[in-house]
Amino acid sequence: MTWFADIYFVFWREMKRYFAHKTRIVTAVFQPLVWLVLLGSAMSGMVGGSMAKDLSEAENYLQFMTPGIMVMTALFSGMFSGNSLIWDRRIGFLNKMLAAPISRTTIPTGKVAAAAIQSMIQMVIIAAIATALGVRFTSGPLGLVLMVLIAGLFCCGISAISLSFAVFIKTPEGLHPILNFLSMPLLFTSNAIFPRAFMPGWLQGISAVNPMTYAVTPMRVLALEGWRWESVMPGLVFTLFFAAAACYLLSWVFGQHIR
Amino acid sequence: MENMIQVVHLTKIYSGQVMAVRDVSFSVGEGETFGLLGPNGAGKTTIIMILTTLLKPTSGTARVAGIDVRENPYGVRLKLGYVSQDLAVDDNLTGWDNLYLQANFYHLPKNIIKKKCAEVLRLVGLEKRADDLVETYSGGMRKRLDLAAGLLHEPRALFLDEPTLGLDVQTRQQIWKYIEFLRSEKKMTVLLTTHYMEEAEKLCDRAAIIDRGEIKAIDAPDRLKEAIGGDLITISFSPGEEEKQEKALKAIEELPFVNGIESRQKNYVLLVKNSEKAIPSLFQVLNETGVKVENLNLKKPTLADVYLHFTGQELRDESWSKEQAIKSAAMRKRIRG
Repeated sequence: MTWFADIYFVFWREMKRYFAHKTRIVTAVFQPLVWLVLLGSAMSGMVGGSMAKDLSEAENYLQFMTPGIMVMTALFSGMFSGNSLIWDRRIGFLNKMLAAPISRTTIPTGKVAAAAIQSMIQMVIIAAIATALGVRFTSGPLGLVLMVLIAGLFCCGISAISLSFAVFIKTPEGLHPILNFLSMPLLFTSNAIFPRAFMPGWLQGISAVNPMTYAVTPMRVLALEGWRWESVMPGLVFTLFFAAAACYLLSWVFGQHIR
Repeated sequence: MENMIQVVHLTKIYSGQVMAVRDVSFSVGEGETFGLLGPNGAGKTTIIMILTTLLKPTSGTARVAGIDVRENPYGVRLKLGYVSQDLAVDDNLTGWDNLYLQANFYHLPKNIIKKKCAEVLRLVGLEKRADDLVETYSGGMRKRLDLAAGLLHEPRALFLDEPTLGLDVQTRQQIWKYIEFLRSEKKMTVLLTTHYMEEAEKLCDRAAIIDRGEIKAIDAPDRLKEAIGGDLITISFSPGEEEKQEKALKAIEELPFVNGIESRQKNYVLLVKNSEKAIPSLFQVLNETGVKVENLNLKKPTLADVYLHFTGQELRDESWSKEQAIKSAAMRKRIRG
């Protein structure tokens, strides 16, 4: 029981920090919105009409892009969660937690959970703004809840990877290039922004092994087609495994290298 | 008195190369305030980190409240409070939230958390600023908050790493007051590290002088000072008259109460027992030789002199440049990881 309580308080701290600076939430939401509104609108004009409908199975590009942007939000939030560990180490807070009678694994677990919840809050805001822009979610409010949950799971996985790097890399200057190096290729080799049908064969190949694709696909099915479980399940299960594997890796790395 | 902290033949080697702690042994009795005195990089923080289970020793044993830090780190953590030199408080939380978090990390019962948080806030005089974000606090306030967090669960052994590093005089004296309160009222065992002589002298029942990972001497500050062998009288002669000066020095050396003469720059430092009574005889000898004395100064030894005596060097890093200090801090961080 204390294990869960300890996770909760690590999580509680991260959430308090999150809400202490509302501007950080605004900027975190702003970036994906820029993508959605600017890129989405421009692309809608470019690939408008019947061709877009054939390739992306959406009425318009904005409709198509919204689930992708939600996963992108999860990607960025997750990637940056490694920072909090580096920062904690720097200000000595990590040692303070490590000298306290709490289990080692509660620290990364609480941080992963906080990153996921924070990204889910951002996604709800983005979904609301997308709705205001005319985007409709075919599977309804419950479908949207499941979409946010899938992206939240994906965020757990990415956050765990980012925190695993942060166990070894002790400065933000060292961590950021790695995260940038990972996030852009992950984004553009997935189907978050562009339909796979647009991609050349080799890129489709990469896309097929990109965990981000597996988060986007079921969400897009829910957004565009509705409750088609046979198309939702594979991605959902894959994302669940991805998150579990990454969290397992993180707790192992943390246990081995942070004493 | 039972030993609250026991360290036996402790050695720590970083990355197989840097020997930070070399075969160190000492023990701290229950209720005692014990100081590790030495310059930056002497190994003080490493010893504290081993005792607080943040580092594993390379060899030797360390026990806190009878529990081995290697065999049962969790049990040790329950007993100890740790205030690092880093001002480890979360800027993005309020003072109250920082304490609330700490109280929960130590699993204090729900019904006493509020009471305890309010109590320690009052102790460090921060009750009025409790609801402000810590980023609005001054350095001294952060330190007081950090100390308060270390006291919440009333640890049996409190570890303070450089508790007044970089603080202004006023805050330093406040912190000293709290530490004295912990000893006299709470009967808490305190192990602190410092490179401020005054601090060790004022607070510690006993202090260990540590240099390059080795303990050179352990005793009560007064006894350490006695170990020097007396008071220090510094004489400087008027220039010229080398012959007379030599003669005078020879005569002084033969005086029964003089334990030694050391030349430092152009001055001569005499180690003298019962200096008050010795001075008249000293003057007599000086008069007889007819040498001209420009300056004579009597000083009771301080821990700084003790440090010099045991290590052969001055505890000098108070006069370091900022760049040197930053460099050495960065280096130590890298070594410890």
